[in-house]
Amino acid sequence: MALSNEDELKQKIQDGYIIESREEMTEGYRKALIVQLTVQADTELMSAPAYWMAARHAPSTNTQVSAHAIIQDELAHANIAYRLLEDIGESKEQLVYGRQPHEFKHPYGFDQPLDNWADLVVANGFFDRAGITLLSDVYQNTSYGPLKRALVKVDMEETFHLRHGEVWMRRLAKAGGEAKEVVQCSVDWMFPMTIEWFGLPDDLKRHSGQLDYKLKGLSNDELRQVWMSSTVPLCEELGLNVPAHFDSETEEYVLDYPFPCEYDAADKRWVYEDGESTWDAVFKRWKGRGPMNEIYVESIQRSRRDVGGWLAEKRQA
Amino acid sequence: MIERVYDVFARKHRGDQLAHIGYVDALDDEMARVYAWKTYDEENWFEMCVIRRSNIIPVNRQDGPFSGSRGEGE
Repeated sequence: MALSNEDELKQKIQDGYIIESREEMTEGYRKALIVQLTVQADTELMSAPAYWMAARHAPSTNTQVSAHAIIQDELAHANIAYRLLEDIGESKEQLVYGRQPHEFKHPYGFDQPLDNWADLVVANGFFDRAGITLLSDVYQNTSYGPLKRALVKVDMEETFHLRHGEVWMRRLAKAGGEAKEVVQCSVDWMFPMTIEWFGLPDDLKRHSGQLDYKLKGLSNDELRQVWMSSTVPLCEELGLNVPAHFDSETEEYVLDYPFPCEYDAADKRWVYEDGESTWDAVFKRWKGRGPMNEIYVESIQRSRRDVGGWLAEKRQA
Repeated sequence: MIERVYDVFARKHRGDQLAHIGYVDALDDEMARVYAWKTYDEENWFEMCVIRRSNIIPVNRQDGPFSGSRGEGE
């Protein structure tokens, strides 16, 4: 069945049609799916070196094991997403090993250093919660059958990461004193970082095919609300300050800081005093990538050429 | 490094259907077994096996991920 007409395909998809193969896609559908899967794959991949370097701060052998179990999951999720990309005509080899650091499509949050155990567990609590928020929406709404099936495993494991993050946030916050202060520091830079992750507000967003092709179901602002509806009450319960509150009149979460905002990556600090920034400035900052971008990508690509070369020599010998 | 695609099949309990649960890329069969077991560890599988994708012979469809091989495995 060859569908060449974009509108015809969009209509079928809106009526519940599930795509199972590349041959059934229009070029518009394939391109939109490639963008979505590349962001998903790159995000899973870049979380691995970020968490791996942070795992050095694990306070016990058991927590080392948990941290590395999470890293293993993230790499498996990346592998799954790159395989889905291969099946629609992209090259995993090129995507993982052939791109420059700035060409990866993961969010800016995974260009940042995680400098202590609190940074790691808040990343699990906030970033992995963002991942579940985005991917649960994809799972419930996607018109692409292979992706829906693959997400069953991913969702199960991300829930474990989130639990790990929240249990440790609770433990540190309840301890009070320095333990709580250090979690608060992590929350201070990571809360707005995750808010920004969900992208342009709906009133500024250019129309994209993602909703027409049912690659997702909720808008950026709706997803941001879903994330805040779990994260804000958790932090309030733990006595951690977050720059957002629930407005009972509008029944929505409202940010208490200028959004979007500029970020001082060297200082790990949001520059609230400069007031509201522009999305053009945010996109420029994202494109420029953050301080750990090259280090994380290099840690993944480092040995590919060397080991590949050794094996090629062996084959020729 | 030339890796092959392997499809992973598993059943959770005795009596369950053997289901396609995922895929790994590996240099050889032994590595594929290890990668599959370590990658798809979200369940305590009763049975898991891997098959080279190039060995899967499509029966009724000419599209989809299994269509490229036509069973031309080594």
